[in-house]
Amino acid sequence: MWSRWSVEIKRLAIALMLAAACLAATRPRYGGTLRVEIHESPSSPEIFGVPKGFILTTWEAGRRAIFTADDNAPGGRPFLDNVEIQLGRALRDQSVDLELGKTDVVELGAAELRRQAPGRRVWPSSPVRLMALVFGPRIGDARVREALALAVDRNAIHSVLLQKQGEISGALLPEWITGYAFVFSATADLAKAQALVAAIPPVDRSLTLAADDPANRGIADRIQLNARDAHLNVSVVPPTANPDVRLVETRIAFADAAHALAGVAIALGLSDPPPARNPQEQYQAERALLDGFRVIPLFHLPVVYGAGPRVQGGPVITPLGEWRFDSLWVEERP
Amino acid sequence: MTFRTRLLLLFAVAVAAAVGMVELIVSSRARTAFENMEARRVNAIVAQFDKEFQRRGEEIVWTVEGIAESPVAREIAITPDPSAYLSEAGTLASTHRLDLLELVAGDGAIVSSAQWQARFGYKEDWLPAESDWQARPAFLKREDLPDSVALAMMAVRTVVAGDMKLYVAGGRILDREFIASLVAPEGMRVLLYRNLAPAFSPSDLIDAQGPIAAAVLLRPLVERVEKQASEAVETIGRGASAETFHALPLKGSANDVLGVLLVGNSRRDLVGLERAMLRTAVIVTVTGILMAIALGWWATARVTRPVRRLAESAGKVAAGNWGTTVAVSSKDEIGQLAGAFNRMTHELVEQRERLVQAERVAAWRELARRLAHELKNPLFPLQITVENMQRAREHYPEQFDEVFREGTSTLLAELTNLKQIVGRFSDFAKMPAPEMQSVNLNALVAETMRLFEAQLAKAGIRASAQLDPALRPVQADGEQLTRVLRNLILNAVDAMPEGGTLTVRTVAAGSGARLEVSDTGQGLTPEECDRLFTPYYTTKTHGTGLGLAIVQSVVSDHKGRISVESEKGKGTTFRIDLG
Repeated sequence: MWSRWSVEIKRLAIALMLAAACLAATRPRYGGTLRVEIHESPSSPEIFGVPKGFILTTWEAGRRAIFTADDNAPGGRPFLDNVEIQLGRALRDQSVDLELGKTDVVELGAAELRRQAPGRRVWPSSPVRLMALVFGPRIGDARVREALALAVDRNAIHSVLLQKQGEISGALLPEWITGYAFVFSATADLAKAQALVAAIPPVDRSLTLAADDPANRGIADRIQLNARDAHLNVSVVPPTANPDVRLVETRIAFADAAHALAGVAIALGLSDPPPARNPQEQYQAERALLDGFRVIPLFHLPVVYGAGPRVQGGPVITPLGEWRFDSLWVEERP
Repeated sequence: MTFRTRLLLLFAVAVAAAVGMVELIVSSRARTAFENMEARRVNAIVAQFDKEFQRRGEEIVWTVEGIAESPVAREIAITPDPSAYLSEAGTLASTHRLDLLELVAGDGAIVSSAQWQARFGYKEDWLPAESDWQARPAFLKREDLPDSVALAMMAVRTVVAGDMKLYVAGGRILDREFIASLVAPEGMRVLLYRNLAPAFSPSDLIDAQGPIAAAVLLRPLVERVEKQASEAVETIGRGASAETFHALPLKGSANDVLGVLLVGNSRRDLVGLERAMLRTAVIVTVTGILMAIALGWWATARVTRPVRRLAESAGKVAAGNWGTTVAVSSKDEIGQLAGAFNRMTHELVEQRERLVQAERVAAWRELARRLAHELKNPLFPLQITVENMQRAREHYPEQFDEVFREGTSTLLAELTNLKQIVGRFSDFAKMPAPEMQSVNLNALVAETMRLFEAQLAKAGIRASAQLDPALRPVQADGEQLTRVLRNLILNAVDAMPEGGTLTVRTVAAGSGARLEVSDTGQGLTPEECDRLFTPYYTTKTHGTGLGLAIVQSVVSDHKGRISVESEKGKGTTFRIDLG
């Protein structure tokens, strides 16, 4: 009988030991440096947001930024000692670095999302990035701008190039913030676009297009193709070539519609919208900004981060796309 | 032009013509041979092109088949959402070394395009239009690229998975790399015109290095081939830079001309060969002409020497040496001619002697006739006077003395006349040699005319002396010249019985002098002019006819020349040129 109890006790002890080991393996650990890569390359640390619980200790413009854990952070000290962010790293290179274990957290574009290994941890934000076409002052004919707006086949781009990330939109602010974004038309109408172009003098049918982010070159090429179908002669040029139209992305930094619209207007070089007291005024303000087709909203896209196997905890970002490095720790594996 | 020169020219022309003809024939043969060789080389290049074209086509077909049979192609064919394979064509094209690759869904919508990724979703209607691609070899196709159009060799294969279908259309661009793979012999080059634009575009005409210079020169040929869709040949340029192009159309699957293969063959070698032949011909011709001249000189010398001697002898005969003969050194035509010449001169000498004898006899007869005529005139009065004196002696003795006195005076007068006649004949026979000294002809004329002033005035003749002050003294016998002038003046007086104008003119003529005596008398006929200086010829009822003969004799003794110009009814001019 004793021997039988002895065996059971041993088994229980082993089970307890294993459970304790498992508990120890998943418990947050202090220390370590989280390696992060992003494709943005802000010119000053002010533009660069400081992650919660960290302080900026090293800033090398265009190259890297190092944040160190703030022992006096209001919510307590983060688990990580440091976060080292490498700036201006192309999305494809980031994915390669992640595959090779050279980094821990990377941004993921649509093309990279397709290639992610099964089981990879991915955190998307809400659609907080506005992708839009912004016309320069040279294109004075509103018919050209409207024709291009009607020529762009957002569905094909969204389905294939963006891998159905985010949402198609004809509005500046995403649906999840305003609730009325669907009212702004985002449907292509090639026949109408061609009719508009037919009325435009041939010399005014040529324009240049540049994607601010080289990662969006494929989208620019597709827009060029769509424009050609509408008989507009669009040439894709480098961003430095002073293009007539720019394919830009801007971050929506606020969940509040009025602040978000004001921020987008500033980012896109539009006039300040009037203060809105209710959703109808908010809609009117946004509609006013879009009149004249100086800006053609295309998509609202999420910010997507992927993490390597060393990274524990999470998520990496908030729904607004802000970093949450204070909830992460790194697990060193043999 | 001498006979020898003509012979030499004939030889030279004959040699030049012969060499020219040979050069023409050789040049023509060389050109034909070159063109045959060129045709063989072009055929070899075209065959090489066909072979390379076929090889590449098979390679593309094999590659496209490999892609179509790959698991990923089957995966794309059956996937309900092909958007995830957007960049797959680019990856596959890169892996399989294809320039162009499109994965196209069964409905013709592009799933993935290596050459133009942004075209996903666009329709390639030409793919579903063909029912069976599996057996189709590679074909030429004009392919749109983002910024250009390319000519490509394409192949299409299909992937069928249940009721799903995927077209795999892949190929390689025909560019300068393809041209570089064709090995052209020295002097030849291969060009490819890619018919990519609606009109001729010089940048689409390439060789192994890229777009060629001066492509516009080939525009007419390219356009002709495009229009006719058949082979054409044309030579572009001139001289050594000329090039003969054989242009072959490259047709697509719809039998449309998508490109033109041009095989250019430089004519530099042919032109060089022709120039070398021309140089040789010129050298041979010049040498031949020089040799012809040398040989001709020698040959013609042999031929013309007797002819020249004959000509010299003829010249001597013409100069009065009628007894000249030439040596007969051969029995050919020249020898016969020389013999005939000798016989001719012999005959001439004999005829001259006979003529001289006849003339001598005639002269004596004329002299006798003149003498008889001249002597008969005074003899008749002499006879009448003597007979009157005899009759008076017999029948009228009382009147005899008077008759005798008158008769003797008549006899003396006639005897004086006889003496004068005999004296003139004696003077003509004894014409002395001139004693040359410096004579002022103007002074001589003036002095002589002064002697005739009274006689001329009596005859109603106006005398005019036109003397050239520039006349220099001449070497002459003044006395004989005075006699000449007197004779001419007396003749002029006789020619103007009704009066008129006598003009004596002196003119300086080089180092010599000219003396002219003109009257405005009745003038002479041409026949009279011809015979005027013949001794004893006269147109007058009196005179011996020796005056102008004496004038001519004096002028001849002064190495001068006398001539006469006369027109019937208007007058006569005697002109004497003294050296």
